[in-house]
Amino acid sequence: MSGLHASRRWRDRALVAPAVSVLALLFGGAVAGMLKTSLVPLGADGLSGATLDTWRELLGDPAFVDALVFSLRVTVLATAASAALAVPVAVALRRRGLAIRSLAALPLPVPHLLVAVAAVLWLGAGGLADRLLGGLPVNLVRDDAGVGIVLVYVFRETPFLVLLMLAAMGRGLQERTEAAAVLGASPGQRALWVLWPTIRGPLVVGSIIVGAFVLGAFEVPLAVGPSYPPTLATFAFDATQGSVLAGEGLAAATLLLTSTIAVALAVAAVRFARDAEGA
Amino acid sequence: MVRRPLLARAGGLAIGLAFALPLAILGVRAFADTWRAPALVPQDWGLRGFEAAFGGGATVEAFGNSIVVALGATALALALGWPAARVLGERRLRRPGVVFVALAMPLLVPPYATGAGLTEWFIRLRIIDSLGGLVLAHLTAVLPYVVLVLLAGFGTKVTELEDMGRTLGLSPARRLAWVTLPSVAPTLAAATVLGFLVSWSQYGSSLAVGGGLPMAPLVLFPFIGPDPQTAAALSLLYVIPPILALLVTARAASSPL
Amino acid sequence: MTAEGGLLCRSLTVSPGGVGVLRGLSLEVAPGTRTVLVGPSGAGKTTLLRAIAGLEPLEGGEVHLVGRRIDGLAAHRRRIAVVFQEPRLLPHLGVEDNVALTLRAAGVGRGERRARARAGLEEVGLGGFAGRRTQGLSGGEQQRVALARALCAEPDLLMLDEPLAALDPNRREELRRLIARVQAQRGLTTLIITHDRAEAAELGERVALMLDGRIVQHDEPRALFERPVSAAVARFFGVANLLHGTVRDGHLSWAGVALPAPGPDGPATLAIRPDHVELAQEGPLRATVTEAVYTGAHVRLVALRGDHRLEAHVAPALAPPAGAEVTLELPAQRLWRLPGDSDSDGDGDGDGDGDGDGDELSEASGAPSSPADPR
Repeated sequence: MSGLHASRRWRDRALVAPAVSVLALLFGGAVAGMLKTSLVPLGADGLSGATLDTWRELLGDPAFVDALVFSLRVTVLATAASAALAVPVAVALRRRGLAIRSLAALPLPVPHLLVAVAAVLWLGAGGLADRLLGGLPVNLVRDDAGVGIVLVYVFRETPFLVLLMLAAMGRGLQERTEAAAVLGASPGQRALWVLWPTIRGPLVVGSIIVGAFVLGAFEVPLAVGPSYPPTLATFAFDATQGSVLAGEGLAAATLLLTSTIAVALAVAAVRFARDAEGA
Repeated sequence: MVRRPLLARAGGLAIGLAFALPLAILGVRAFADTWRAPALVPQDWGLRGFEAAFGGGATVEAFGNSIVVALGATALALALGWPAARVLGERRLRRPGVVFVALAMPLLVPPYATGAGLTEWFIRLRIIDSLGGLVLAHLTAVLPYVVLVLLAGFGTKVTELEDMGRTLGLSPARRLAWVTLPSVAPTLAAATVLGFLVSWSQYGSSLAVGGGLPMAPLVLFPFIGPDPQTAAALSLLYVIPPILALLVTARAASSPL
Repeated sequence: MTAEGGLLCRSLTVSPGGVGVLRGLSLEVAPGTRTVLVGPSGAGKTTLLRAIAGLEPLEGGEVHLVGRRIDGLAAHRRRIAVVFQEPRLLPHLGVEDNVALTLRAAGVGRGERRARARAGLEEVGLGGFAGRRTQGLSGGEQQRVALARALCAEPDLLMLDEPLAALDPNRREELRRLIARVQAQRGLTTLIITHDRAEAAELGERVALMLDGRIVQHDEPRALFERPVSAAVARFFGVANLLHGTVRDGHLSWAGVALPAPGPDGPATLAIRPDHVELAQEGPLRATVTEAVYTGAHVRLVALRGDHRLEAHVAPALAPPAGAEVTLELPAQRLWRLPGDSDSDGDGDGDGDGDGDGDELSEASGAPSSPADPR
């Protein structure tokens, strides 16, 4: 290894350092902040006053367990539905022009909160869907099952997954499909051997991002979710609205747990996808 | 494709409209002064929603705050992210995994959580409830997106053109202005728009560290249930800056420097 | 020969990405001349070009241009222009602005820039192309724009990296002529890289063969084809017949036939190009044709005498069929004894001198000696 080469490698590391260290400081600071708030009661002196009281209280709280179950259910439903819808949509839009693709991508730059507003206007009691159909058979907004939350995320995140898959399909999928067809692969085999390996990667990565997003859902359940059960984030928010002293600690513990679950789910998803690939 | 092109095209159009049309209701509801059930068309049109939206001074201030914070966070993310994106895009790190993990973590964790975790320190640093504090909190979410988008623009194609510029006697500053920036303009534009959008859409982190400061999504929220017309009017205002950002950068990308 | 005014590289050591590609390489290009650097892919040609241009840092050695040491200068301060293998035109600029890029960098005013860019385009045969966009141009046209752009810089040294590689045969011929004409008219010191030995012969006033990071022979083109300094050089330039044997009293015995081989006694290798092997009516060298392939210009014969093999290129009208018994002749003046005990590869080095020997089979001492391996 030459000195010149080594100095270049140090220079490259130095160029990455600002972004990484700022992120490490902000993100690490946030995690440390949550940890400290969850362990040290407000007003206590330094780390010496650390207790596990908050954690004990949280894990013993049936409302927290309800929030956890509700959040996980909404996350799985919204992510699975988005992914399941996105694959046929991407295939259908594969050969369509920029105009139609742009229409389908329209929800992407729209903040979640606005999608929630539109959902209330369409699906809420007395909303447009209600009027069109002369009464909705089921309640879709502020319903106990969280259907409203799932619908908002599916509407908003499906175009995101479609866009990721279309980008992957653009790179030589046509040529590879033709090669497979010439070699005698049936349409079903082409879908399984050529199309699926092409879109699997972006679909997994995109689904992880969507899943993490829904798990941390905050403003969407506040707008279209039921008053009970809350999601994890709104449970934390409710805690801070109650007693200020204990609330901050409960909120921090909840959010820390949510973050851990999000990361763990992402790691598990990556592992699972890799194993599936190896098989 | 000779096979049923019309049907396929119509299907594509239907899918496109299925995602585009539901949002149009915001544009109708915002101008519907009276829209009593069970009518499918409003009875009275008007600007009551916008009047209500601007009733207090908070709306203007909130949108101003959101714009300042989004621009600040995006600018900071671009400055910090550019060199990192270059190194990653040109695959110059032997083990880039560490960096990608550092970039991915903030994307997985709920923004409300990062905001809440930062509150503790921001109080001590006396930047709580300040625009500076909001910029930093948003940066946690904006920076990873900016780097991940920006790095796709770098690679051998750009370095080859830059080498060409070097042999033609272009100084580093001119190489940046005449070769590098025009070459990466599309991804730079995409990164800028995305950075702006991510900050603009932040709700939880703004609530956590911005407490007292009005921000665009925070002033919109209370109207959603009780006053749909004002909520729709504010929603329309709320999508204008992202759409402007999208248009401006799309233009910048197509006719570079 | 001195390179006062030309290019002089001395003991260059370059390790792109930490891998030692060049280790103590030296090369001279006399002012106003055209040298072709030829070698198989992976020999380090492009690394050398990048090092000279300042795109790859040196770990050792010096680069001099016009009598000035330039290896400490940043790439954009060296008066060197490069035409890369791909045209590398800026996609957001039109043809004229691409050509005038270097003038704009030098602060030349708009009017003069335009005039000089148009003159440059005229010079490369693209008159009328100034207003065009770069996207619609053919590969050959793009490469000409890149050449015009390099010429506009009025460099002290012009380097071209495989400029013809991506073109079809007819376009290659045109661009090859253009490069030679422009270089001669402008008296530009020029270094051209190619992997193609025929292209090297056609383009170079002098040719330097690079093998495995070293210049093994630097001479006039004909010398590399007919008087290679080593078996490796011979093989690269298509000298298919390397006849090994032992020299005694001025003759080398090969397949039972005595071939004239001047020089001292001992093991030796004689080289002869397939195009110089002739068919004869009578003689001692009888062989069996095992392969006769028509290639367009000639028929390539492979003939065996026992387990000794000879390759010959003969006119199609004269070619015997496979299986025929023929008599071959190896004209004495076409036989070349490789210098030294040259059985091994890559043992030659340095700037061989092309003058003096003519075509005659000469003393082995007429070829450059083989200095110690720089490794």
